Amino acid sequence: MALVSADTKIAELLTELHQLIKQTQEERSRSEHNLLNIQKTHERMQTENKSQSTCPTSPYYRTKLRGLYTTAKADAEAECSILRHALDKIAEIKSLLEERRIAARMAGVYNDSDPPRKTMRRGVLMTLLQQSAMTLPLWIGKPGESPPPLCGAIPASSDYVAKQGDKVAARVKGVDGDEQWILAEVVSYSHSTNKYEVDDIDEEGKERHTLSRRRIIPLPQWKANPETDPEALFSKDQLVLALYPQTTCFYRALIHTPPHRPQDDYSVLFEDTSYADGYSPPLNVAQRYVVACKETKKK
Amino acid sequence: MYLMVGWFLTNCVCNEHYLTMLCELDRKELPMPATQSLSFILERFKLPELNTAILRTGAHRAGMAEPAAQASTQARLQQGPSGGSASSGPNTGSGSGSSDPARPGLSQQQWASQKKAQVRAFPRAKKLEKLGVFSACKANDSCKCNGWKNPHPPTATRMELQQQTANLSEACRSCGHALAEHVSHLENVSEEEINRLLGMVVDVENLFMSVHKEEDTDTKQVYFYLFKLLRKCILQMGKPVVEGSLGSPPFEKPNIEQGVLNFVQYKFSHLAPKERQTMYELSKMFLLCLNYWKLETPSQFRQRAQKEDASAYKVDYTRWLCYCHVPQSNDSLPRYETCQVFGRSLLKSIFTVTRRQLLEKFRVEKDKLPPEKRTLILTHFPKFLSMLEEEIYGENSPIWDADFTMPASEGAQLVPQTVLSPVAVSGSPLRKGQAGSALDTVVSEPITGEKRKLPEALTLEDAKRIRVMGDIPMELVNEVMMTITDPAAMLGPETSLLSANAARDETARLEERRGIIEFHVIGNSLSQKSNKKILMWLVGLQNVFSHQLPRMPKEYITRLVFDPKHKTLALIKDGRVIGGICFRMFPTQGFTEIVFCAVTSNEQVKGYGTHLMNHLKEYHIKHGILYFLTYADEYAIGYFKKQGFSKDIKVPKSRYLGYIKDYEGATLMECELNPRIPYTELSHIIKRQKEIIKKLIERKQSQIRKVYPGLTCFKEGVRQIPVESIPGIRETGWKPSAKEKNKELKDPDLLYNILKNLLAQIKTHPDAWPFMEPVKKSEAPDYYEIIRFPIDLKTMTERLKNRYYVTKKLFIADLQRVITNCREYNPPDSEYCKCANTLEKFFYFKLKESGLIDK
Repeated sequence: MALVSADTKIAELLTELHQLIKQTQEERSRSEHNLLNIQKTHERMQTENKSQSTCPTSPYYRTKLRGLYTTAKADAEAECSILRHALDKIAEIKSLLEERRIAARMAGVYNDSDPPRKTMRRGVLMTLLQQSAMTLPLWIGKPGESPPPLCGAIPASSDYVAKQGDKVAARVKGVDGDEQWILAEVVSYSHSTNKYEVDDIDEEGKERHTLSRRRIIPLPQWKANPETDPEALFSKDQLVLALYPQTTCFYRALIHTPPHRPQDDYSVLFEDTSYADGYSPPLNVAQRYVVACKETKKK
Repeated sequence: MYLMVGWFLTNCVCNEHYLTMLCELDRKELPMPATQSLSFILERFKLPELNTAILRTGAHRAGMAEPAAQASTQARLQQGPSGGSASSGPNTGSGSGSSDPARPGLSQQQWASQKKAQVRAFPRAKKLEKLGVFSACKANDSCKCNGWKNPHPPTATRMELQQQTANLSEACRSCGHALAEHVSHLENVSEEEINRLLGMVVDVENLFMSVHKEEDTDTKQVYFYLFKLLRKCILQMGKPVVEGSLGSPPFEKPNIEQGVLNFVQYKFSHLAPKERQTMYELSKMFLLCLNYWKLETPSQFRQRAQKEDASAYKVDYTRWLCYCHVPQSNDSLPRYETCQVFGRSLLKSIFTVTRRQLLEKFRVEKDKLPPEKRTLILTHFPKFLSMLEEEIYGENSPIWDADFTMPASEGAQLVPQTVLSPVAVSGSPLRKGQAGSALDTVVSEPITGEKRKLPEALTLEDAKRIRVMGDIPMELVNEVMMTITDPAAMLGPETSLLSANAARDETARLEERRGIIEFHVIGNSLSQKSNKKILMWLVGLQNVFSHQLPRMPKEYITRLVFDPKHKTLALIKDGRVIGGICFRMFPTQGFTEIVFCAVTSNEQVKGYGTHLMNHLKEYHIKHGILYFLTYADEYAIGYFKKQGFSKDIKVPKSRYLGYIKDYEGATLMECELNPRIPYTELSHIIKRQKEIIKKLIERKQSQIRKVYPGLTCFKEGVRQIPVESIPGIRETGWKPSAKEKNKELKDPDLLYNILKNLLAQIKTHPDAWPFMEPVKKSEAPDYYEIIRFPIDLKTMTERLKNRYYVTKKLFIADLQRVITNCREYNPPDSEYCKCANTLEKFFYFKLKESGLIDK
């Protein structure tokens, strides 16, 4: 029943989103007119300035321009607020979908009578991981606002507890005793023991691990925009843990180049002894799967 | 298509500085923006008009690149803005594009022909004056003056029209003789000839400007030569003939056009008509582009090519200037189409550069392409060119054979190939002559992805396939096919990736179709110089293999990858090698050894490995090898199993022992290929088939609308019930299949009892006495020399007891042999044969009675 209501809720939200997008276009055409006005005024001013190069700006133009710019600013703010509103709606839809996914998963875990779930092909899993990275929302702050924790390279606060369903990098002991950072999903957190229960994301070796806090690194929840918040990105040559492409494991790597645009990936050099210089050639890894590497190499 | 060509021409010819320069020629007289220079080409070829006509009617387009009647040019000129519609992108509609309605743009060609018309409309006196300028003085033998010079030179060209016509008695500024002395030879010349000469005058003037403006020395030289040639022709009233060592067109046979059309036939004739048409259109577009493409100058060419190639190219370039390029705007010279007079050698020299420029052009200006053509150009055209490239540079490409013909009819086309699969057959000849009997039986056609071409594919198949009796009517299947809207196509490809049961190679197939990845069979060669790209790819392959197979010595990998007997199917993404399968074919032994197989680590689990192997399978089917053998290490066994390999080796050991490289600790695996399977499309075909069946089931369900309670008999301990007794099963249209009826009785005891009963009855038959026991040698000494497989009823009884007759077929065969042996040994009218005849009738009657054979 809960699922059905979620469905209708999502449908409602989508309708609202649709409306908002239409409104945006209206706002945009309105401000267009004003912007054109500004441009024309400037042109006229310039031609007049040329002919009588004496006065810099006449008081008439000054007041006129001030008025026009004030309107333009108000228009832009209105458009901006609608866009933010639309972003909120998208976030709401995403969280509803996520809730539903977790609910379905729990049901799957606890219901023995269901037929066994089909395991995904690895290729499909990889595509899903890529898509999740691609659709990770971009953090859009208000002017002057600095990016929050878990945006890009900004780490979570020390007391942060990852929610159920969140993706994390988890340090687990492998069968052969080697420690490995794997991509995992949080199942629960016990405040009494300060331990997480996480599931390996890889269905083939699906295993539940109970791990202490320090073995868990939450993944970013927003992309940082390199154009506006470059400080929230790892910088060149910084040591990180990055998900090796087409795998579910994190490895130590150096940032080769940070992203230039919001949709760009990091280019990283993985530590790899099979290459002469000890590093792989540059490989692309999405912001979603690059986290700070805390420990120094112990081996 | 032609809209696109129009667009393309607009864009490419704009930077032809030759034309641009010509446009500037008489700027004062006829102001015109340089960018409009090619509108004339468009006009002349009526591209925009034809295009709309074609879009409406879908008419066949062959031959429309031929110059259309000049008359229409004139007609359209008067309509004002011209070339614009050809350059229109999606936003400009059929609007004015780059042309300015206020100033009807004229190209050089247009200008030249207008100018000619103008000059030809002059009064005769004026014409003579004009010709006098280019005519030698004939006042006396000693006068060396070769052209009359106006003593009153016009101050501005613009004034020329209003200027007074010079009087015949007017003296030449250089020699002082009258104009009449210069034009005396023209007195009795027809108006037609005068006009021809005037045309040459206009062209000479143009060439003069061209010589003046051209910066490239080679080109300048040719222009100057042509200038002198035309001048001489005016002087001597002759016809211009390019002389010297250039030879005369055609310069090579078959020409480019023929080669490219052969290519389309060779590579695509197995496609459905619509797709074939698409390929044909692409080829037409390519040829048209080539006809108007400005070739790079010999000095540019020299920078990237071998010395000897460069000198050959210079000859071709000069030919091209004289016979193709200059005549485009200079109709005194005979004009030929580049694609009709040049052949493979020119294409070889220009293809790489032209292709790059062309694709770059399309990429940069893709927004200007009409949206419906964008996919065609951006996805199909690059592949089309890649495939063409293989044929241009390939050693043994058949498309350049003078007597190229397609083997057999279209119907008997080999193994269906993936649409646009660019697997290169580098250095290895084709299927010509290989369409052997084994492959002639191929009937299955790939059911390809796009919805709209399905009906055709089906009818094609329908005609070829032997229908199964009682099968679903084809109309119904077609109907269902129409209703299956491909959700992947509607919602974009991403959704299909989301489904957990997407085929392993689905992504790879899509990427190949979009040109993101390419597959090429490459190899090193000692006899010919390998091209640089191939060598780079081989190095790339060596790197991928040695990195992914760390236990193989690097030197060993290098040795095999570069061994000319080994080939590698390379997977290319962004121009880089990301994977491959190195193999060695043993045609005499009928198998291929798979040597290395790897995909670079960060590109794994994308289905590339599967798609690689499928391409390799199709490549081998094409080359008539149907077995793969490989030594798989412990990590590779899983992969090979998924690709249809098994540890069960069917190739006899003698065939591969000593040929295949033996590896310790590895498992020999084999894969047998079925030439009827289009491997690269297989998973897709199966998916479609599943969809169709699902749809058919849904339809049936909606027709019946009846729900029966589940069967309970099994809970009560019943182990088996006949299928017919399941309630409702007959309503679904289920019939016990013909096969079912003929099937062996499942229960061996049942068969035993029936046979035992039957044999007893036969033995008691009054005419069975001659056959009761084995023939004694004492009675018929030569019997066992004549009868190779003796049998009798006693032996049969023993065989029955020993449970030898596990199928009725064995039993009937023995029974029949009793009779045939008898007939073979004894004369037909003997007592024994009479007995055999009666007994035979009897037991066939009994067999039918017991249901062992059909009545």
